[in-house]
Amino acid sequence: MLIDNIKTHVVGVDIRLESTTIAIIDIRGNIVATTHFPTMNYHDVGNFLTAMSDAIMNLLEQNTGIDCIRSIGISAPSGNFYSGCIENSPNFPWKGVVPLAAMLRDRLGLAVALGNDAHVCALGEWAFGAAHGMKDFVLLTMQSGMGSCIVSNGQVCYGANGFAGEVGHTCVIPEGRECGCGKKGCLEAYVTIKGINKTAKEVLAESNKPSLLRDVDTFTSQAIVNFCEQGDELAIETLRRTGKILGLGLANFATILNPEAIVFTEDLMVLSRWIMEDTYATFQEYVFRNIADKVKFTVSSLDDQTRALMGASVLAWDVKEYSLFK
Amino acid sequence: MMELQKMKSNVVGIDIGIATTTYAVIDLRGNILAQESFDTREYPNIDNYLGVLSEHLVNLVERTCGYENIRSVGVCCPNSNYKTGCLENATNLQWKGVIPLAALMRDRLGLAVALANNSQCIALGEQAFGAAHGMRDFVIITLGHGMGSCFFSNGKMHMGNKGFAGEIGHTCVVPNGRECSCGHRGCLESYCAERGVIQTAKELLAERNEPSMLRNVDDINPKVLTEMAELGDHLAIETWRRTGEMLGMGLANYASILNPEAIILTGGLPHAGRWLLEPTEAAFENHVFRNIKGQTRLLVSSLKDGERDVLGASVLAWQVKEYSLFL
Repeated sequence: MLIDNIKTHVVGVDIRLESTTIAIIDIRGNIVATTHFPTMNYHDVGNFLTAMSDAIMNLLEQNTGIDCIRSIGISAPSGNFYSGCIENSPNFPWKGVVPLAAMLRDRLGLAVALGNDAHVCALGEWAFGAAHGMKDFVLLTMQSGMGSCIVSNGQVCYGANGFAGEVGHTCVIPEGRECGCGKKGCLEAYVTIKGINKTAKEVLAESNKPSLLRDVDTFTSQAIVNFCEQGDELAIETLRRTGKILGLGLANFATILNPEAIVFTEDLMVLSRWIMEDTYATFQEYVFRNIADKVKFTVSSLDDQTRALMGASVLAWDVKEYSLFK
Repeated sequence: MMELQKMKSNVVGIDIGIATTTYAVIDLRGNILAQESFDTREYPNIDNYLGVLSEHLVNLVERTCGYENIRSVGVCCPNSNYKTGCLENATNLQWKGVIPLAALMRDRLGLAVALANNSQCIALGEQAFGAAHGMRDFVIITLGHGMGSCFFSNGKMHMGNKGFAGEIGHTCVVPNGRECSCGHRGCLESYCAERGVIQTAKELLAERNEPSMLRNVDDINPKVLTEMAELGDHLAIETWRRTGEMLGMGLANYASILNPEAIILTGGLPHAGRWLLEPTEAAFENHVFRNIKGQTRLLVSSLKDGERDVLGASVLAWQVKEYSLFL
C-alpha cells in the first residue's frame, strides 16, 4: 500500500454581476493565484460555464496543476447551498433555477459546493477574519441591499428554505418609507445608499444651511463620507440619522439573537467612521438590558473580494472530496 | 460476574412558576407518571424553598418509581440561563441576584440537574412531543404575563453567546411607545402580553364613546375580553385586533430574520382563538419578507397548559450528562 498525499489546495470562485474572480487557495487561506473575467459577457449559462472552466484550467496549468486541488467552492448571489443552484436571480441574465454546482462538477470532475454570497462571506470572516473563534455572531452585508448571515452554535443558520438573514426587511418604522420589496418602513429603506440619499433630501429640505450635498444629484457612500471629512454639517447630520435607525434595527436583531459580535462589511465599512457612534449609542439605548454591553461591534478585517474568496475556499473544504480520475 | 445494568427510564421535570411550582415524574416517551404542585410564593428564602421542593420531590418519586429509576432532573424557570445553570436577575420571582439553582439542586438531590427558561423548555417539549416534532428550524413564542421566545436552527437550540437569546418581547416596535417593565419604551411585550392587552382595552374605552360591556367590568383580563368578543362586543374585538396587528408585525420581523418552518404560539393568550389569531395572521402576511411569505406556518401549541412546561423540563433532563451521588 502506498501512503497517500492529501490535496493541499482548493479553488474559490466569486461570481458577481461585474466580474467573476477565480483563485487558488491553500489550507491556511493564502491566495496563490487569481484571475477574473467579465460575467455579463455570457448571456447563455452554457457559455458562461465554458468560460469559467477554461479560466480555472488555465489558472491551474500556470500555477499548481490540478493534482493538488481538492475541490471547488463558489460564492454567488441568489445561490442556494442546499440545492447547489442559483435560484431566480433578479440580476443575472440566467433565469430560473440554474444547477451551477452540478454543471461545473461534470465539466471538471471535481467536487463543487455553491453558497449564497452573504453566507459565504460569513464563512470567510469566520475562518480568516474578525469573527475567528466565535460560535454565535452576525455578519452584516450592505451594498445595494442589506442582508446578514447568522452563525448559531458554530453553524450557519440557513433557515427552513435557505432565506434566513433578511434583516434589511424587518420593519423599524411602522408605516414608514416604501421599500423596494413592497413593504413599508424596512431597515433597508433607510440605511442603504439609496435610503441615505432620501434622508439627505429630507435633511436638505429642513434646513437653509449650505451643503456640498446640494450640488449633487445622487451620491455614493464614499462621496458622503468625503463630504463629512470636509466638515459638511448636513452630510454629518444625514449619517447621524442613518446611524440611529441602524442602531434601532440592530438592537432588535441582537435582542433576539444575543450574538457575541456584529461584523460590519462592504458599504458599512466605508460609512463606519461617521455612523458607528450613533449606531452604538442607539443600540445600547434599545437593546435588552441583559445584552447591553455584551455585543461587540467590529468592522471586517478583510476586503470584500478577499472575504468572498476565502469563504468560497472554506465552502470547498466542507464538501466531500470527489474525483472523476480516481 | 458483571451484571447487565438497567437503564434508568424516568426523569423529573420541574416547572418553577411565579405562583405555582409543579413537579412530575415523566418517562422517556413523555408519559407523566405522577404530578404535584405547591405555592411558590410561600418561600421567600431560596434555601427554604429548595428544602421543601426536595422533600416533596423525593416523596413523590419514592411513591412512583423509586429514586434508583430517576436518571436526572430538568428545571424550567423564568430568567434562568441554560449555559450557566443560574437563575439570573429574575424580574418577577422573589429571589434576587444570581442564584446557581442547578448546582444547589444537584447537591441536594444527588442527581444531575439541567436548568433552562420557559421558552427553551417549551421548545424542547414541542420538538419532542408536540407541534414542532420533526422540524429543524422553528420558533416558539410564549405569550402570557410576559412574552418570550426560543428558536431552533439546524435542529439545535439557539441560545446566543451568553444564553440570553430570544427576547422578542423586548424588541422595539413603536419608537417612544408605551413604557415596558424592562425600562425601555415601545417593546412588543408592552402591547402583546397580558398587561399590554389590558392597557389597549382601557385606552380604547377612554378614546371611544360607544357602549361596551367592558365598561361594567372591574377587572379586565384576557379571559373576559375573549368572552366579550364571543358575545359580539365591538371594543373587545377591536382590542384583540390591535393586539394581533402588533403581534403579526413582530412575528413577521422574526420570520424575516430566521426563515423558520413554523412559529408556534404557546401560553395563555392564544386561547383568545380567532379573535387574536386572524388579525395576527393578516398582519404577519402583510409584513413578512416576500421570499418567506407562505413558507412559514403559524401554529398553536397542541400540548396541555398544565403539562407543557414540565414535559419540556423532562426533555431538558435527558440532555444533561447522567450523574449520581449514590453509585
